[in-house]
Amino acid sequence: MRIEQHPIITFNKGRKVQFTFDGKVYEGYEGEPIAAALHDAGIRVLGHTHKLGRPRGFYCAIGNCSSCLMVVNGKPNVRVCVEKLKEGMAVETQIGRGDIK
Amino acid sequence: MIHTEIAIVGGGPAGLCAAIKAAESGAKVIVLDRNSQLGGQLIKQTHMFFGSQKQYASHRGIDIANILISKLEDYKDKITVMLDATVIGLYEDRVLTVDQGGKYIKIKPDTLIIATGASEKFQAFPNNDLPGIYGAGAVQTLMNVYGVAPGESVFMVGAGNIGLIVSYQLMQAGIKVKGVICRGPKFGGYAVHASKLRRLGVPVMPSHKVVYAHGKDKLERITLIKLDENKKEIPGTEFDIEVDVLCIATGLTPLAELLWQMGCEMKYISELSGHVPLRDKNLMTSLDGIYVAGDVAGIEEASSAMVEGSLAGLCAAKAAGHIHPDFEALVADCHKQLYDLRSGPEGEAIRKGLSKAELKEVGL
Amino acid sequence: MLERTGVPTKENIESVTPLKERLSKGPVAIIECFQEIPCNPCYTSCKKGAIKELIDINDRPILDPEKCNGCGVCISNCPGLAIFVVDESYSETEALVKIPYEFVPLPKEGSFVTGLDREGKPVCRAKVEKVLNTKAQDRTPVVSLIVPKEFSMTVRFLSLNDHYSDNTIVCRCEEITLGEIREYIRRGYQSLEEIKRISRAGMGPCQGRTCSQLIMQELAAATGKRLSEIKMSAFRPPAVPIKLGQLLGGDDHE
Ligand SMILES: Cc1cc2nc3c(=O)[nH]c(=O)nc-3n(C[C@H](O)[C@H](O)[C@H](O)COP(=O)(O)OP(=O)(O)OC[C@H]3O[C@@H](n4cnc5c(N)ncnc54)[C@H](O)[C@@H]3O)c2cc1C
Ligand code: SF4
Ligand code: SF4
Ligand code: FES
Ligand code: FES
Repeated sequence: MRIEQHPIITFNKGRKVQFTFDGKVYEGYEGEPIAAALHDAGIRVLGHTHKLGRPRGFYCAIGNCSSCLMVVNGKPNVRVCVEKLKEGMAVETQIGRGDIK
Repeated sequence: MIHTEIAIVGGGPAGLCAAIKAAESGAKVIVLDRNSQLGGQLIKQTHMFFGSQKQYASHRGIDIANILISKLEDYKDKITVMLDATVIGLYEDRVLTVDQGGKYIKIKPDTLIIATGASEKFQAFPNNDLPGIYGAGAVQTLMNVYGVAPGESVFMVGAGNIGLIVSYQLMQAGIKVKGVICRGPKFGGYAVHASKLRRLGVPVMPSHKVVYAHGKDKLERITLIKLDENKKEIPGTEFDIEVDVLCIATGLTPLAELLWQMGCEMKYISELSGHVPLRDKNLMTSLDGIYVAGDVAGIEEASSAMVEGSLAGLCAAKAAGHIHPDFEALVADCHKQLYDLRSGPEGEAIRKGLSKAELKEVGL
Repeated sequence: MLERTGVPTKENIESVTPLKERLSKGPVAIIECFQEIPCNPCYTSCKKGAIKELIDINDRPILDPEKCNGCGVCISNCPGLAIFVVDESYSETEALVKIPYEFVPLPKEGSFVTGLDREGKPVCRAKVEKVLNTKAQDRTPVVSLIVPKEFSMTVRFLSLNDHYSDNTIVCRCEEITLGEIREYIRRGYQSLEEIKRISRAGMGPCQGRTCSQLIMQELAAATGKRLSEIKMSAFRPPAVPIKLGQLLGGDDHE
């Protein structure tokens, strides 16, 4: 969900772009973190842990905690809370330490 | 290897003020920040800050960041800014290893100011790792930097200034806050912040804690319990609240990894919220030419972080051979401002903590 | 107390309420800042010198109501949003309350909103007199609300929801709306007794316990009288709601 109206801030959004998440097409703004676009689309679970298979979302949103690792354009272990969204990116759920679902 | 007179790690209020004062003194400065914009915590703070005019009180955090950044531009020839640049290593040789978008850069400064700020404390309770449970910083980043609502309804854990302020910011963004809790019988933040929330109808509930988070793939519900005056659970007082976001704002702790790596003398001081470097009154650590400023030296406020930054900037420049024409007066003024900011009852813990963090042999 | 609830106590509020004579003279700032915190923009923003110098930045602000002209400049400068301006000279029965309001959408001038108290509870209907939102307010707009005088020290926030709109039910027993009551008042019915008789509001099973207060408030607002001046109708016996069975002589076992 986007915040459409805000009393203090005007958000400078980039160009609208399309990307895929596990094969499905979504929209987001260029230059925002991938995690922001996914969150807007209601996607909270970004992966599952390697040990207990527990669902994982982002936690710190500043690249500190590595809770948000995903596979982006085939590359595993990308921290999507800081990785900037680009047109046509393929984002995939990561299971454990780098296998694709 | 890049050589510079002063390297500043962290471009928050402390680092920015340090850079301005160091450049004003005539030194060549490199400011490094792992973020893609300068300002540190300030870029998420939409509320007006406390303090006095000298620390830009009654300006919003976001605006203070812009004021500082535009001041930085006055010294373009002296200050180099490196963004998306994370300092990953800093050892006895004092060479900084920087990761900038996968490229590794080495920087050798004459003097160094560490202004890396803080990281958030985590809370232990069953299921605390469910998606939907976020740190306050993450909630702020998502809503105030990227304009995305963290969820539909939020419950806030922690009623210090951060918990209270982030709750207010959530309400401003049109997101319902179902309540704010803390363990102690009194909330820790300023009463005016709590009063703002109460007027909006948000319950502020001291003496509560979260005992369980429910949900399969993501947070759906939390269980709270009442605590007595000694923060002991009162059996049978559990109750549930439905929320899709639980925001953890139980405090910050200094982000001092780099200082550890270098071998600075560190000490755990609870009043300063964690392990902090010992320092002299001009903010030099136990290592010659290594200075600290801001939250990394002890969790406080942006107001004090800016003054500390200025002080460290002036002194680091002096150590690098550039003495500001008004050095004595400016340093005295920094000490006075810091003294004033910390003099009230709310500053008592900070005063106590700082007295424990003093370096025995005073340098400079 | 304040540190547990976040709501200033009665004593807190009394300590910053100017004398009656001063309040009735015209607008004056009410500074609801009760803790020693390192903050002083209230003092530095007041060009009238009405706030005593905070020699130690942690000092609490002290207002000299005689020097304060109620200009409201300090409202948008206070990071704690703890300053309000109250003007009890607005009319015979109404006061103006100026409130910092950092939300969107802003209320419209001339519209009706609901005045809320320090706990966010609805207190009364309020009319938006003015919304000040210039560069000087710097994204902390100031909303002036017209409220019944007795609520000038109670209303401290607003809800855009007009809780007291024409469609709002006043008497739930008889399903009478505020709009209907207002219509009777317009037609000239001036006392609670009259309104009750003509509208049947207050004649239901609860015998007006639920709705009398609201009807009186509405009468006060419409006729420009104070609540204390509106005559309550005498309760008709029995004073306690009893079940039909009891009146018929049955006992209370069903
Ligand atoms: C919700 C909230 C409300 C607040 N409200 C107020 C207020 O009203 N008034 C007030 O005075 N203060 C307030 N503060 C506190 C204030 O924001 C902080 O005290 C202040 O920002 C500390 O400044 P700093 O420069 O020390 O650290 P920060 O602002 O945290 O900046 C540190 C910077 O260092 C960078 N960094 C860290 N590690 C590295 C590395 N290894 N390599 C490169 N860069 C790195 C980070 O990216 C960051 O930009 C608030 C804080 C929060 C969270
Ligand atoms: S209302 Fe005006 S005169 Fe009164 S204290 Fe505030 S700024 Fe000063
Ligand atoms: S500006 Fe507001 S919060 Fe600050 S001291 Fe004055 S009244 Fe209190
Ligand atoms: S959420 Fe912590 S690294 Fe991405
Ligand atoms: S509510 Fe009006 S009589 Fe009961």
